[in-house]
Amino acid sequence: MACRVLNKRRHMGLQQLVSLAETGRTFLGPVKASKFIIDQESHESVLVSSLVRLLESLDLTSAVGQLLNEAVQAQHNTYGTGTNTLFFLVGAWSSAAEECLHLGVPIPIIVSVMSEGLNSCSEEVVSLQVPVHNLFAHMDNTNSSSGLETFSASLGPFLQTPSDPGLTQEEPELKDASHPRTIYSLSGKPLKSHDLFKRQARAEAEKIKSLETLINGPLPGTCCRKSVLIHSRHFNSIDRNRLEDKPSGFLGPPRAAGSKAPSCNGLVELVAGLSHGDPGSMKLVEAAVRLQYQNACVQRGDCTVPFMFDTSRIFTCCLPGLPETFTCVCPGYVTLVPTAHTALIQELQNQSMRVVLIQGDLTETYRHPGFNKSTNIKTVLESTKVSQASTEELWENHILQILTRFNVHLVLAQGNASERLTEKCMYSKRLVIGSVSGHVLQAFAEATGAVRVAYATQVNEDCVGMGICVTFWRRIPLDVIDKKDRIAILFHSEGIHLVTVVLTSPVIAQMQAKEDRFWACACRLNAALKEQKVLLGGGAVELLCLSHLRIIEGNSPKKVSEACSRWLHHHSSWLASSLAQYRATVLECMATGWHRYLSTLLWNTASYSSEPEANTFIQQHLQNAVDSGSPSSYILNAYRDLNSVFNSDISNKLEQIPKVYDVITPKMEAWRRALDLTLLVLQTDSEIITGHGDTQIHSQDSEDFLFL
Amino acid sequence: MSRFEAKKPSVCESDPLKSERVRATLPVLKGIVTSCYGPSGRLKHLHNNVGGHVCTTSQSSALLGRLSVTHPVLKILTTSMQNLVSCFSDCGLFMTILCCNLIENGQALDLAPTTVIESNKLLLRLCTTYLKSEVCGCRIPVDFSSTQILLCLVRSILTSKPACMLTRKEVDHISALVLRAFLLTIPEKAEDSIILGKSIIVPLKGQRVLDSTVLPGMLIEMPEVQLLRTSAITSSSALKVALFCVSLSGDVSDTGEGTLAVSYGVCLERAVLDQLLDLGRQLVRDHVGLVMCQKVIHPSLKQFLSRHHVIAIDRLGVALMEPLSKMTGSQPIGSLGSVSLSSYGSVKDLCSATFGSKHFFHLIPNEVTVSSLLLCSRSDAAWEELKLTCQTALHVLQLTVKDPFVFLGGGCTETHLAAYIRHKTLHEPGSVLKGDGCSQTELQLTAEAFCRALESLAGSLEHDGGEILTDRKYGHCWSAQSHSPAAVNWPDLLSRCGCGSLSSQEQLSWSCLKSSYHPSMPPACLPQEAAYSSSDLTLDCFTAKLNGLQVAVETANLILDLAYVIEDTN
Repeated sequence: MACRVLNKRRHMGLQQLVSLAETGRTFLGPVKASKFIIDQESHESVLVSSLVRLLESLDLTSAVGQLLNEAVQAQHNTYGTGTNTLFFLVGAWSSAAEECLHLGVPIPIIVSVMSEGLNSCSEEVVSLQVPVHNLFAHMDNTNSSSGLETFSASLGPFLQTPSDPGLTQEEPELKDASHPRTIYSLSGKPLKSHDLFKRQARAEAEKIKSLETLINGPLPGTCCRKSVLIHSRHFNSIDRNRLEDKPSGFLGPPRAAGSKAPSCNGLVELVAGLSHGDPGSMKLVEAAVRLQYQNACVQRGDCTVPFMFDTSRIFTCCLPGLPETFTCVCPGYVTLVPTAHTALIQELQNQSMRVVLIQGDLTETYRHPGFNKSTNIKTVLESTKVSQASTEELWENHILQILTRFNVHLVLAQGNASERLTEKCMYSKRLVIGSVSGHVLQAFAEATGAVRVAYATQVNEDCVGMGICVTFWRRIPLDVIDKKDRIAILFHSEGIHLVTVVLTSPVIAQMQAKEDRFWACACRLNAALKEQKVLLGGGAVELLCLSHLRIIEGNSPKKVSEACSRWLHHHSSWLASSLAQYRATVLECMATGWHRYLSTLLWNTASYSSEPEANTFIQQHLQNAVDSGSPSSYILNAYRDLNSVFNSDISNKLEQIPKVYDVITPKMEAWRRALDLTLLVLQTDSEIITGHGDTQIHSQDSEDFLFL
Repeated sequence: MSRFEAKKPSVCESDPLKSERVRATLPVLKGIVTSCYGPSGRLKHLHNNVGGHVCTTSQSSALLGRLSVTHPVLKILTTSMQNLVSCFSDCGLFMTILCCNLIENGQALDLAPTTVIESNKLLLRLCTTYLKSEVCGCRIPVDFSSTQILLCLVRSILTSKPACMLTRKEVDHISALVLRAFLLTIPEKAEDSIILGKSIIVPLKGQRVLDSTVLPGMLIEMPEVQLLRTSAITSSSALKVALFCVSLSGDVSDTGEGTLAVSYGVCLERAVLDQLLDLGRQLVRDHVGLVMCQKVIHPSLKQFLSRHHVIAIDRLGVALMEPLSKMTGSQPIGSLGSVSLSSYGSVKDLCSATFGSKHFFHLIPNEVTVSSLLLCSRSDAAWEELKLTCQTALHVLQLTVKDPFVFLGGGCTETHLAAYIRHKTLHEPGSVLKGDGCSQTELQLTAEAFCRALESLAGSLEHDGGEILTDRKYGHCWSAQSHSPAAVNWPDLLSRCGCGSLSSQEQLSWSCLKSSYHPSMPPACLPQEAAYSSSDLTLDCFTAKLNGLQVAVETANLILDLAYVIEDTN
C-alpha cells in the first residue's frame, strides 16, 4: 500500500483535470468537431462526436480521471445534456483554482469563495429566465412546424452564423424525412397526424410565406406585450431590504422598467432555440412531440390535462446503410425481422392480432432471476417407454398449444426468443419477436390491455392483449433490407403511446453519433418542457455570470466578510477574517474561467478567425455590461435590440435570427457538478493506492511514494 | 509430484518502536490521519491503481477500513480505531491522532516506558473523573426542550467532513432532516424502558442535496412496472402483512453434497410451484393484503396473488428485514409449510411515491418508530461520504439521548483539558498521585507530554499555516493568522473561539500554545448563557469523545509497552 502526496509544488490532481478537460474543448458550442481515436496497438479507430463517447474510449484509470468520468456519467444519466459544459468548466475552474494556489490563497478560502461565486451567479441568472407559453396553442396552424427550416443555421445573437456548409446541406434531406408514407398504410381509420404531415408538406412548399409569419408572428415585442417582469428578484418584496442595503451604484437604474421581459411563445420558437446547431435532430424530436401530443389529445378527448412529453415512450431504430431520406418519425414500434419472415408479415398484414408480452427470455431453459437451478438432480428412467421427444421439443409444443388455445399471433419478448420456437411459430402463422425494450412492452401493455408475464406458461385470457397490427415499414419492403438481411416492420395499435424515430445513415460510422445527437436534443426539449421556462442561451448566461463576478469583486469589504463567512463552515477560524483579503483574487480567477468558456464558444463557432479577436469582442461586451450597472438588463436589451450589439456584416439579416435558449436545471447542475469536482480534487492532498500494486509502483517513480 | 518446503522460523523483533519499519511508517500513518482532521481537513483518494472504484474521503472509518497496514504496531492502532468507530461511529480520527501523539511524546521522554504508562493511567483517570464531574468546564448539558444544541451537534458532524461537498444551506437542510429522522424513531408512548426505532437511509443519487427528505415509515424501491400493476389494488384501510425471509422463487432446496434421483416424468419445479400456490391460497384465505419477501417471489405466485388483490413485494434484502418486522409486528416466516396466524402483522397504509427517477412503495405503520431518510447527492463519491456522515450523526444523537451532555468542539475541549491537567499536576500533585509508584517530577514530565499531545491535537485542526492560541481564563482554543505582529491587538485579530461560545471582546488574555505557560488557576467553567446564546456552536459527542480518549491512552500504553514482535513468516 502506498501513499502519494498530490500537492507538493503544484497540485497534480488539478493539473490532470486541466489536461483531461482540454480533450473536450472542441465539443463546446453548436459546431462540434468529431475526433478519431486510434488505438496504437491494434490500429483500430473510432469516430467520436460527443463527450460521453470520447470518455468511453479514453483510458481513465487514474483516480482523477475516474472521478471526472463519474461526474460526466452522472450528469449524462440524469439529464442527458450539459456534459460538454461540465467538462469544459472542470478544466477552466481547475486552472483557476491552481492559479489561486499559486498566488498563495489558502484552500478553504478558495473553496468558500468559489462556492459563493457560483451560488451568486446562479441566483443572478434567474433574471435571464424566459417563461415558455402557449406551446401547443397553434398546433393546427398551418405554418407552425416550419420554423426550423428557415433558421436552421442560426446560433443566437452572441454567436454569429457559422460557415459550416454541412449544417445547411442537411435541410433538403430533412424535409423529405418528415412525411413517411408508411403512416398512410396503417390499418383502421387515419390518425390526425396524417393531416399534420400533409399540411407540413404544404407548409414547406410555401416556405417564404412562413418566414413572413414568423417574423411578424411569435417574435417577442409584437405579441407578448402582456407579459410582465416576474422573474426579477429585485422587484420581489422579500428582497426589498437587500435592495436598500446595497450601494446605489451597484444596481444602477431600475432594471427593465420600460422594457418587457422576454418570453418564448410556441413550440416552433422553443424548438428552434434549443436546437443548438443541430436542427436536423431537433426536427425529429419536434415531430415526436407533436405525435405524442396528438395521441394524448385523441386519448383524452380534450387537452385540459397538461400534456407531458415522455422520452421513455420514444424509441429509436437505427438502420445503417440506408439513405438519409428514409429518416422519419412514426407512431408505433418499428423493428427489424429476418427477410424470411416476409411472407408471414404479408399474411398477417391488415388484421388485428392478439398479443402476449413476455418479460424474460422465451426459451426452455430460462428461469426468472433469483431462481437457483439445482445441479445435482438426476432423472431415473424406470421403464423403456420413453417418448422420443427431447424436453425442449416438449416445451415448444406446449407453448405452441398455449398460443393456439388463446389464438395469439404475436409474441413480444424482452429477452431472447428461442430460434426453433420462432420457426415453428412461423409455420403456424405466428410471429415471435425477441429483444424488445421494456418501455415498448409497457406501451403495448397499456394500449392492448395485455399483462406482462415471465413465462409463456403463465398466459391466461386476462394476459392476452388485442388490437395490434403489423405492416411493412415502407411500402416496398425490399427497398430497405439492411446489412444483416433484415427488413423493417411496423407494429401499431389504436392509441398506443409510443413513437419510433427511424434513423438512417449511409455512412455507418455516423449512426451512433446520429442517435446520440437525437437523444441530446430530446433530453434538452424534455427538460425545457418540464420546467416550463428556459434561459437565454448562446453565451448570454455566461456573459452575465462573468460581468456579475466582476461587479461583486468590487463590493465593500464589510459586506463581503458577512456574505462570505456564511460560506466558510468554521467561521471562528482566522480564515474567516482574512477572507476579504483574498476574495477579489479568487473571484477574478473564477471569472477568467467564464471568459475562457465564452471565447472557446465563439472560437468554436468559427465566427472569429483568432482567439484574441473573440476575446476583444467579449471584453467589449463585458465592459458595456459592467458599465451599464445592471448587466442583466444590458443583456436583455442586447437580445431585444440586436442591432445595437452587432456592427458586423450579418446585421442586415438579423431579423432572421431566432433566439437561442438553454435549459435551466441541467445547466445549473452541470456548473455545480463541475465546481464540486474541482473543489473535491482541490481539497485532496494525497492519493492512497491500496492492494498489491506495490511492484508496479516501484518500477515507476518510487521516490514520489510513501509506503505503509 | 508434491513439493514440501521447510517451515521458516518465526521472526522476533525486539523493541519494535525503535525499528526502522515503524519509524518510517508510523509518521506516514500519522500524517494521513492528521491531514484529514477537521472541517478544513484534506481529502484522500483511495483506489487500487488498476481502475477500481475511487473513494474520496477524510473519514476514519472509510479511510482506515481500506488501508492495509503491514506492521503489527500499526495494526494495533488501526484495529482499536475500527473497534471504537464500530461502537460509537464518531471520533476515530481524534483517537488515532491522540494515540500517535502520545506514543511520539512518550518515546521522547527520557523515562522508562513503565513509568510513562503508569502516569498516563493516572492522567487518564484524572481526565475521566473531571470530564464526568459536575464541575467540568468543557461540557454542557443538553436541553431537550429546544433543538438548538442537537442541531449544532449534527451540524458540527456534517461540517467536519468536507468530502460531503455541502454548502452552508445544504448543511442546514440535512441537519434538520437528520434530527427529524431521529425524532421519528422515538416511540410516542413512553414506558419504563424506551426502545428506539431505526432510521433507514434510502439512496437517491444524481439529485440535488436539497431534494432530500424524511418520511415516517419505510420506503421500498420498486420498478415502475410493478408499481403500476399494484396501484390499482391499493386500498386505504389497514393491511394484514406476511413477511417471508425464505425464498419464494420456487427453486428446489439445496441437496448439499448428495445427488437427488427423480423418476422420469416427475417435475420437481412443478411440485414446488404447487406448494407455493397452496401457500398463496392460505394467504388469501387468511385475508393477507400485503406479502413481502426478503428474496424472490415466483412470477406465477405473484400473478396468483395479484389476481386475488394481494400486493406482493419481493427482493427486500436482508437489511430491511429487521426494521420491517419491528414496524409491522410480524414474524419473518421461514418455511413454505402452513403459516401460523400469529406471524402476521399489519401496516396502516400503503401508497406509492416517486422521487427523481425512482419509484417507491411507502409503508406507513400504525405507530411510527421507523423513518426513512431519502438522501440525495449529485455524485456517487459525495453520496457515500454523506451517507456515512448521516449514519454517524444518527448514532451520535442516540448516544446523546443516553448521556445528555455534549463537549465543546473546535479544539476547545482539548485545550481546556490540557490547562486543567497542568494546573492539577502543578498545584495539587498529591491528589493525582495517591501514593502510586511514580514520583512527582515524573508525573509533571509525563503530564507535560500528555498536555502537548492534547494541544497538538487541537492544533491539527489547522491546515493552512495558522496559529493556535489559548485564553488564560477558560482555556478555549483560538486560531489566528501566523506571523502576526508582536504588538498586536488580539481582540481585534481574533473573532470567536473554536467552539463559537466565546467572543474575543470578553476581556481575555491569550497565549500561544507553543509557549510554556503555567496556569495558576483551574480553567473557568463556561457561563451557561454563553453556551446557549450562540446558535452556531461547534459541539462533539460526549460518549464518543470520552471513549475515544480512553481508547487512545490505553492503545498508546499498549504500544509503548511492546518489547517484542514475533511474526510467523510462513
